[in-house]
Amino acid sequence: MHDPHMPFSHTVSGETLFSVRGLSYSYPDNTRALASVNLEIAKGDRLALVGHNGSGKTTLMKHLCGLLMPSHGKVFFQERLLEGENLDDARLKIALLFQDPDDQLFGHTVLDDAAFGPRHQGLTKEAAEAAALGALKQVHLEHMAYKAPHNLSFGQKKRAALAGLLAMKPEVLLLDEPTTNLDPSQEQVFLDLLKSFSGTIVCISHDLIFLYDLCHRAIVMEKGEIHHDYSMKELVSQKSALRGHGLDFSFRMVLPALKSHSNGSEYDKDQTIIKPAGKMVESTLKSHSKALECDKDQTAIQSTVKLHTHECNRTPLLHLKGYSFYYPDGTAALNGIDFKVDKGEKIALVGENGAGKTTLLSSILGLQKGKGEFFFDGMSVTRKSYKKLWQRVGMVFQDCADQLFCPSVDEEITFGLRQLDISLPERVQRMQNVLSMVHLEGFEKRVPLNMSGGERKRLALACVLAMEPEIVILDEPTAGLDPQGEELMLEIIRRLDATLLLVSHDMFFVGELTNRTVVMHRGKIVENLTTHEFMKDERLGNLNGLAYAYRRESTHAIQMLQHEHEHSHLHHHLHSHIHRHGDVVHEHFHEHAHEHPHRFVHTHPGEEKSHHHAPRRYHDHQHPDHESETHDHMHD
Amino acid sequence: MPDLSDSFEGSFFHKWDVRCKIITILCFCFMVASISNFAVALIAISFALLVIVMAQVSLQRVLRRLLAISGFMLMFLLIMPFSVPVLPGDTIIVPNGIQWMGFNMRGLYLAATVASKAVAITMMMEPLFSTAPLPVTLHGLSRLGVPEMVAQMILLSHRYLHVFRHEASRISSGMKVRGFRKRSDLATLQAVANFTGMLFVRSFDRTERVFDAMKARGYKGCFPEPLVLKIYPLDIFISGIGVAMGVLLIAVDKNFFI
Repeated sequence: MHDPHMPFSHTVSGETLFSVRGLSYSYPDNTRALASVNLEIAKGDRLALVGHNGSGKTTLMKHLCGLLMPSHGKVFFQERLLEGENLDDARLKIALLFQDPDDQLFGHTVLDDAAFGPRHQGLTKEAAEAAALGALKQVHLEHMAYKAPHNLSFGQKKRAALAGLLAMKPEVLLLDEPTTNLDPSQEQVFLDLLKSFSGTIVCISHDLIFLYDLCHRAIVMEKGEIHHDYSMKELVSQKSALRGHGLDFSFRMVLPALKSHSNGSEYDKDQTIIKPAGKMVESTLKSHSKALECDKDQTAIQSTVKLHTHECNRTPLLHLKGYSFYYPDGTAALNGIDFKVDKGEKIALVGENGAGKTTLLSSILGLQKGKGEFFFDGMSVTRKSYKKLWQRVGMVFQDCADQLFCPSVDEEITFGLRQLDISLPERVQRMQNVLSMVHLEGFEKRVPLNMSGGERKRLALACVLAMEPEIVILDEPTAGLDPQGEELMLEIIRRLDATLLLVSHDMFFVGELTNRTVVMHRGKIVENLTTHEFMKDERLGNLNGLAYAYRRESTHAIQMLQHEHEHSHLHHHLHSHIHRHGDVVHEHFHEHAHEHPHRFVHTHPGEEKSHHHAPRRYHDHQHPDHESETHDHMHD
Repeated sequence: MPDLSDSFEGSFFHKWDVRCKIITILCFCFMVASISNFAVALIAISFALLVIVMAQVSLQRVLRRLLAISGFMLMFLLIMPFSVPVLPGDTIIVPNGIQWMGFNMRGLYLAATVASKAVAITMMMEPLFSTAPLPVTLHGLSRLGVPEMVAQMILLSHRYLHVFRHEASRISSGMKVRGFRKRSDLATLQAVANFTGMLFVRSFDRTERVFDAMKARGYKGCFPEPLVLKIYPLDIFISGIGVAMGVLLIAVDKNFFI
């Protein structure tokens, strides 16, 4: 059972860097963001701030660097109250990395930007530029020093923003979703950079696998309060606490690459996790059989599940032949693309940032026109029909804010339907259907701008689904979602009955939702194979910056921590129940230790080695007999 | 604005004190604007061309600037011959006896003079803006009396223009993929209003975040000076030559030497 009143188990050791005492904060509209937060952060801490969207993580972080002032309570940095001159000094030691690097790169060139902080620290122009160049070298961007920030890719911008902070040689790094929208290779680079930072780190992220590798302490926030203060290992080992705070990512615990299709169970010698057999194989084969109706023999599919070429005579729904697209400066964004999509197929489009995925999608959507042949449902797409592709292809953008612009949910959903000249009763009917499909019933009059990230993402999907497109394109559908939001999105997409084109760096989603993977690299399609084969091929992953080695290692470590079965051992309890001391019957929190068999999460360091039975001090389970019996314990 | 690296040596224009450069080029431009003789305006163009060559700036960028004003110039050349008041001594070409379509050659001359002056001034903008990074030019302007806050706002606007343009283009794509096409109806007006409103809200939010990011890195109202400005005698000498060229043009224009 998840007990939010369970006491904090983490004790701060070492010199206290931040001390937050009774911190409360309300926004100008009186919305309470933080309530009586008490927190100590020691020098050298690696602290993860986790919790639902809107739980107060970012607000707390803004207080730690003095961007917000408390309504009540105090924040101390190095034992000095964070205000006035102290705050000015502290800002030069505390560095805050924003989620969107464009917010942070305000300099005319990357070098100007990186030197901005050091100049405010009082360094001369030359010294500041030397510090900036050093930091840019650290993030492998010294060759971009004289470029304007808008010429950088997203990953480069993110690293340039970090360089601007590292140049200040800060004592503390505050990170807000540092890996959002990065491809796995960029994420790995970022993780290495952060790991090599010697100071204190406070990091907000929904990506617990990333946090597990970076942090050793986790603060769980809920409705502006700190609910738990765990070690990172304790947090990930407690499924009930994770689920209670929308952080349970256990559904990700099976990496598709590790699933075996050779026997009835999905088991890999490197992984102890076992998933009910056949689920993925079945769905894969089902999808294939639906997509390739010409392949009548199921056995043949099993043996020749390779889909490098579509020999089927059936007309593909979408077909690009020798398709190229060039930017005005002559750079080839797409080069001789041959791409087929059959009706009902679920296809993943993967590749590193800049591989040409977005350009290909823009072409399919009719937003950009390249050279080459383009067929839709067997018909050549002409200049006129190009403009009508929107009626048959729908897309959910990576940043859903780009497609939500109406003042209410109902207007948002019916916007596309009005363009299709759908009658009013049918518009209302379709709106109700899609809202129910994405679990947003009753949201009709809500303002999209005020909805949470997960809700907005589902609304964007609903807007597209309402138009009943033949092909649904999803661009990074899980970007910025918390684990609960991801699980919900996964469930919704699984139920979609449309041809699906998924663009994602998230290999778990690729494995779960698609049966064919098209790999892009430098504007070309370099592989077109089954998702299962793709997952097995680490060479392809490395080529496309999709390697997830550290994720696999972290996942494995977390699985070990979440391992659960029955044991009998001496363990501690802290709980409240009615009990008797002779004639005295009362109820209060008390601690005692006893031994009996029960199921609990624990680690197995190795098959032959003894178990770790007490990864945390207190165990939390019911004792029906014990709870009414007479027993003694210390009373204050 | 072009990318300028420290390794780029450049011309003397790149080393010229930015304040002297701004004052000289602006003075020259004002003097060119006061010219009334077409032939002198052509000389101004050749002076500007000479400056462009000496400043080693991109000809392509100069052409792009000229292209931007070409529509305006064309309008002058087309309209003025038909619209200037007819004065005694004017040469009027009347096509097929259509009186009201009289083509006044003086109008064409006036339009050509205005266009030539505009071309010369536009050409001078490239050496002014491309031979120093924008922060240095703005720093020079603020040292010449333009309020510091205005210079900072121009600098940030230049940086975020690209970001807002991308945001606008993404929202516009989001509308297009849901079938939006501009028509002359109320629904289009409503959609465009929503688009503008959303862009405004997002821009406002971003402005607040950028300001937070600046404060978090020690900003207290002042950008650090991009460099220490110092005027050498050579800077003043070059400015003198520039102003003298302008004065010479005016003198020729006013028939001072005749």
